[in-house]
Amino acid sequence: MLSGAAATGLTASALTASTGTGPATAATSTHQTQDADEAAARRAGHRVFRHGVASGDPLPDAVVLWTRVTPTREASPGSGIGPRTTVGWQVAADRAFTRVVRRGRFTTGRGRDHTVKIDVTGLAPATTYYYRFTALGQTSRTGRTRTAPSHDAALASLRVGMVSCANWQAGYFAAYRGLADRDDLDLVLHLGDYLYEYGPGEYGYGPDDVDIRSHEPAHEMVGLADYRRRHGQYKTDRDLQRAHARHPWVVTWDDHETTNDAYDDGAENHQPDTEGDWPTRRARAHRAYDEWMPVRMAGTADLRDGSRLFRRLRFGTLAQLNMLDLRTYRSQQPGLTDGAAIDDPDRTITGAQQMAWLKDSLTNDAGTPQWKVVGNPVMIAPVTFAGLPSRVTRAVDDVTGLLPDDGQPYNVDQWDGYTADRREVFAHLQDEGVTDVLFLTGDIHSGWACELPVEAGDYAVTRESVGVELVCASVTSGNLKDITGAPEATPAVEAAILANNPHVKHLDFDNHGFCVLELTPERAQCDWFVIGDRAEVDTPITWSVSWTTEASSNRVTRAAAPLAGTPEEVR
Amino acid sequence: MCGTTRACADPAHRHVRPFERGAQALRTGRRTLLTGATAAAGAAAISVAASRPASAVVPTDTRRRAYVLVIDGCRPDEITRTLTPHLWALRQGGAWWPNARSMPVMETIPNHVMMMTGVRPDRTGVPSNAVYDRALGEVRDLDQESDIRVPTVIERLNAQGFTTGTVLSKEYLYGVFGERATYRWEPTPTLPVTGHAPDVFTMQAALDMLEADPHLMFVNLGDIDRFGHADVTGGTVKALRTTALVDTDHQVGRFVQALKDAGTWERSLVMVLADHSMDWSDGSDYITLSPLQEADDLLAGQVAIADNGGADLLYWTGPDAQRDEAVDRMLAIARSADGVLRAFSPARERARYRLGDEAGDVVAFCRAGRRFSDPDPWSNPIPGNHGHPATRPIPFFLSGGAGVVPSGQVSSAQASTMDVAPTVATFFGLRHGSRVYEGRARI
Repeated sequence: MLSGAAATGLTASALTASTGTGPATAATSTHQTQDADEAAARRAGHRVFRHGVASGDPLPDAVVLWTRVTPTREASPGSGIGPRTTVGWQVAADRAFTRVVRRGRFTTGRGRDHTVKIDVTGLAPATTYYYRFTALGQTSRTGRTRTAPSHDAALASLRVGMVSCANWQAGYFAAYRGLADRDDLDLVLHLGDYLYEYGPGEYGYGPDDVDIRSHEPAHEMVGLADYRRRHGQYKTDRDLQRAHARHPWVVTWDDHETTNDAYDDGAENHQPDTEGDWPTRRARAHRAYDEWMPVRMAGTADLRDGSRLFRRLRFGTLAQLNMLDLRTYRSQQPGLTDGAAIDDPDRTITGAQQMAWLKDSLTNDAGTPQWKVVGNPVMIAPVTFAGLPSRVTRAVDDVTGLLPDDGQPYNVDQWDGYTADRREVFAHLQDEGVTDVLFLTGDIHSGWACELPVEAGDYAVTRESVGVELVCASVTSGNLKDITGAPEATPAVEAAILANNPHVKHLDFDNHGFCVLELTPERAQCDWFVIGDRAEVDTPITWSVSWTTEASSNRVTRAAAPLAGTPEEVR
Repeated sequence: MCGTTRACADPAHRHVRPFERGAQALRTGRRTLLTGATAAAGAAAISVAASRPASAVVPTDTRRRAYVLVIDGCRPDEITRTLTPHLWALRQGGAWWPNARSMPVMETIPNHVMMMTGVRPDRTGVPSNAVYDRALGEVRDLDQESDIRVPTVIERLNAQGFTTGTVLSKEYLYGVFGERATYRWEPTPTLPVTGHAPDVFTMQAALDMLEADPHLMFVNLGDIDRFGHADVTGGTVKALRTTALVDTDHQVGRFVQALKDAGTWERSLVMVLADHSMDWSDGSDYITLSPLQEADDLLAGQVAIADNGGADLLYWTGPDAQRDEAVDRMLAIARSADGVLRAFSPARERARYRLGDEAGDVVAFCRAGRRFSDPDPWSNPIPGNHGHPATRPIPFFLSGGAGVVPSGQVSSAQASTMDVAPTVATFFGLRHGSRVYEGRARI
């Protein structure tokens, strides 16, 4: 997979002297390049590309490429030291790089934590490309990416990996292994909580919060160096590196990329007295995210132009992906029993600008793609829990933050705590006759398939739904059985929630894993894959359940089998 | 609002009702009732044009047949395996456009006209069911044959030697398409108030017209819409509506079976679509703009409103010199009214809406779950309405055995009611320039 600069003759200096397009002059074998790269690493005494490669935000003619270089052994993430380094990059139409279509150079340094982020343009739509970086005589592993189809392309299907909530300390990222092993994905969608802020001993594995592996730095991340070090640590994970190298990613953040239960001017897990002012902390978190993730913020790969994360990506006439940022602009979460605040139209989860943008995205104007997909960090389907005893609601709340002890029906950290905004979105969908709206959600460490009721209270009678929501489980973050230590209690909880919420059709509170979603003009199908024990690196991955929504229906129904092409070993 | 307006119901008015015109056509000999082999015993009244157009070039494949079945007012989510098995089977076995849309104003007459003309209302002259007729000085339905300003595919086919038939359950559709078709069913019996023939009779007429065997048959099945309008349980269990869906599906099943029994299916194209979908409001959820306009010094007594259920069309009847100021005020008042989704000037947003001058000076759409009731709160009491954007999604699929429809094909493309005419024209090999149709052929 790796390609050596020595073998190709494409050293960094050669690359920097030869920018632009055109065929490469040498082909190399995988073995040759691996040997050469390892030899170069030995000579240098360290690996320059130790954090992998990544691509993201594919457009019909462009894609963001990412890597990080470690120019000296001491220039570790967050160290703030290390020389300016020029990095060469290549994009080729073939894995052997015999047909290089774009190449260039990029100079990085300590001011950006030696990360490299390039928006490569001039590419062909719906095309698979291979890319790699060179620096200091070493060559990165080869990444594979794929551009989006042209805006008017009629796609037969789009297949997306869905994942969220990866907590390093709680276990190994087998879910990323599952995505990396798939050869049938057009992209991976990360719905937030890509990393966690806690220090060792907090929020780990099981009821006792055991660290399967410990966070670096060994304290809650607060400063810019902390955020950089934590990003750097996560990107050393083998399965995460493989998943990034294998597919383009489209990402959004939730709260833990900054800190727990964040809102516009604070967070539950932010103490101004000891952790400084909130805008500064958030700006540091956003800066590190921009440096370390293959994403266009404020519409570009440039780090200097702002941190707007909500954006659209289009995939022919089949789908438009609308990625939300539900942390930066939201009002503070209301009290759990503060019904007036929960319904207060002056409170917002999106902010006014993003709300207008979202409604503009969710239209049926001529030329709007069929599936209006929303990358939605927190759940939008209403969830009420009337009738559950408080001992149960406390356990559920520990997992998801869903419930107050007295059984009030709202999770105030998700759309349930911002009902005016939800009503505005749902009313818009009804008013404009918008069909095929699909919210894809993470955050709550459990798998859900829901219809989206105009009025939850009488949904059993009216069945008036404005869309569908599919929620993926967590990679490792604790779920119900992890918190209670009593998996035998879960089925009764799930049954009670399903009974109280007729629009919720599927709920799995106890598994970790990932989803694979396929969109076609006829339907969307979501497969849930679950892992075994997250404390084991090689824990097995198996198919759990599939749900489908037929076009125009706003309903979900159980599917009998996973998608065609699902590897036999995980069926 | 789908009901017949007062102007066209008034026999004393010079506006002639469609049935009366049909009777005149028979009395004067312009059309004659079918008898003998082509009219089933005791069957529906099907008239034929007395003078068939001179046959031009005989098409190369005259054995082909096209049937356009409009399931009036049906929502796309109402086509299910259990509720409407025949429609579901047609959709699954044919080609389906789940992203299909009705066109503004989402009413019956304009969308049927767009189906047959393939162009937008600024060219057809038919933007809604009801308009304020400035020459007449009255609000009236666009149910006159002369209301359509451009040739339909019916006339284009006739001119090329094909035969055509219309089986339209609603009086105003019967009126607006008039005597264009070679064969024309005189809808009967029609129900009072709704002005439409139940689907069981409409389908029987369609089956009878198969005996005459026109190349194109254009059928409107009105029950889903009419029962939907009347369904006071529309916002909950939809009791009447569901009954209509089951029955209409059965009628469609009869028609398909008849085609198969006659051996016609193998050379047929069957298009199934709706003209608009349906939305329901409670009794008190009406919007009445008239008193709001009347309360304005400039507008009082100088605004006429054509109520179209989910859309109000407002017309300035005062001096032209004051039109701009009046439109500004009309827009401001409409936009401030509770339940109005948006209001716009068709003239100022000509490129976006393409509604034409007949749509008046201001068009207002209501929100989902609301309806207009003008000029009085009791003018429109019916719970089911359409015309507003909430009612844009429609079912749209092609089937038939003619070999032009790939089985199981589903497309993300945004099909529309305007696509019917170019699809039919293409099916029959009619040649046309690029500007003739704004819709797209879907075969």
